[in-house]
Amino acid sequence: MHSFLNRKSAIFVFVFPFLALYTAIMAYPIFQVFVKSFYEWDGITSPIFSGLDNYRNMLKDSDFIPAVKNGLIFAAVILVYQQVVASILAFIFTSRNLKLRGSKFFKTSFFVPVVLSVTVVGQLWVQLFNYDHGLVNNLLGIFGDDFRQAFLSDPRKAIYAVAFTNGWQFMGMMFVFIYAAIKSIPEQYFEAAIIDGASPFTLHRKITLPMLQETYKFTLVMSITGGLKAFDNMFVMTGGGPGGSTMTLSYMMFKSAFQKGEFGYGCASAVVLLLECLLATLIINKFIARDRIVY
Amino acid sequence: MTLNLKTSLWKPVIYIVICFFSLASIYPLIWMGLNSLKNNEEIFSTNVYGLPTHFRIENYVNAVTQFNILSFFKNSAIVAVVTVIFTILMAVMFAYATARMRWRLSNIARIYGILGMFIPVQMIIIPLVIIVRDFHIQHSLLAIIIPYIAFNLSFTSMVFYAYLRSIPFEMEESAAIDGANIFTTFFRIILPLVSPAMATTAIFIFLNSWNELFTALVVISDNALKTLPLGLIYFQGQFATDWGASSAALTISSVPPIIMYLIFNRQVESALTVGSAVKG
Repeated sequence: MHSFLNRKSAIFVFVFPFLALYTAIMAYPIFQVFVKSFYEWDGITSPIFSGLDNYRNMLKDSDFIPAVKNGLIFAAVILVYQQVVASILAFIFTSRNLKLRGSKFFKTSFFVPVVLSVTVVGQLWVQLFNYDHGLVNNLLGIFGDDFRQAFLSDPRKAIYAVAFTNGWQFMGMMFVFIYAAIKSIPEQYFEAAIIDGASPFTLHRKITLPMLQETYKFTLVMSITGGLKAFDNMFVMTGGGPGGSTMTLSYMMFKSAFQKGEFGYGCASAVVLLLECLLATLIINKFIARDRIVY
Repeated sequence: MTLNLKTSLWKPVIYIVICFFSLASIYPLIWMGLNSLKNNEEIFSTNVYGLPTHFRIENYVNAVTQFNILSFFKNSAIVAVVTVIFTILMAVMFAYATARMRWRLSNIARIYGILGMFIPVQMIIIPLVIIVRDFHIQHSLLAIIIPYIAFNLSFTSMVFYAYLRSIPFEMEESAAIDGANIFTTFFRIILPLVSPAMATTAIFIFLNSWNELFTALVVISDNALKTLPLGLIYFQGQFATDWGASSAALTISSVPPIIMYLIFNRQVESALTVGSAVKG
């Protein structure tokens, strides 16, 4: 009947622009990254095959272990702050018989930082963390000037401060995510429990939390891979410093390729980054929430 | 009865909790907006928390005249709008071909097209820089527009695919009977039907391109081509000690996304949440 749906020339016109651009910008580079990670290459002259040298050098690189560690710290901080705060808030806003005034305003306010760029948020928090004039330190200063902290220039604290900034920014997103997941739990479950006399706390503990297993598994993957990939926050707030204390794998890749001109080594870092993200995802999938809950 | 008593006791506590986190989320931004109208002396000592008393518009004037914040703004706007238009056009056509046209490799093409969602930018950035250089587009905004389009294709086409599958096939049948060809059918009948999905994806792509830093940082070196997230970094380098002016610059670049969010609240929430969820 509608023969035009299988006309070859029309199909070509519809798919060609997408496939051409996608292949050139997404697929081909992925292939290139793997190949070039085995070469010594400065991005200008022709690459020289060097086998596994890049990978061997990476293990010896003094930045490597701290970078992985920082990625995990970053992940842990955003995980704790976002998941805990977002869950508490989502539980509050989905509680029955808790008529909250202005709940639309509150829900909107949590999400505002999400729409901003990391540059804006990072620079704003550099000011907020400022030792003499930042709001955070003014608050701590109430208890005495000894309580003021050099958040971003102390190598032991900087990674936590940077990670917190990211956690703060995207908490609202987690909130919307968890909120939507709770809203999708069938109403009968709660009704039955309410008839049995369950309190709001019991409802959340016995119904919401178990039903959210899959959601949490998913947000866990998001946080960990997000932490391993972290770059923008460090670049804006600390430049990887002080003394390399906020270095991550992405930053290592950026530094080696675009500041030192070691493109082959940068490609190897990118491959390791991808492998770590895959590994983290596999581990989480294997050990958490193995038995899926069927609605 | 006991339940009600319990909730009424808890209510003040709950209000304190939500007020605290609500303030934690927006007060820093309000502080930024207020600071943009003060000078350093007021921010640091004389008027730390209060409303601005003098409304120092000169901060904005400084941000605009002494620094090309307007040119960054213009670049961001061009990049975002062009990226939105072309991503949607290419993605909806591809989605249409895979969702409704009949050809042998359609399923394989669709899966291939979706895989891009799982590729982090960091993975492909090094070869991407070389490609941009080889195509000699590094001295134009195309250097970031083209990658941005490619980054957003997978997600956008997936949204349209789901949408297009839900439209009854009689649409094309009746169009064919009326003698319309595939292009008129697509542009006149199908596109209007997917406009809700267009709104959501447009917002998602717009915010993504407006806020993107990493690719712009690596690919763009000309000052005249910098977008806001990138330009602000260099602004900060020069105005780091002038908190009023840097707050003004930060405020200028935050206004469009915040307004967009306040108007399209639900779409923005669902677009960003779903978008980042599938991106993983």
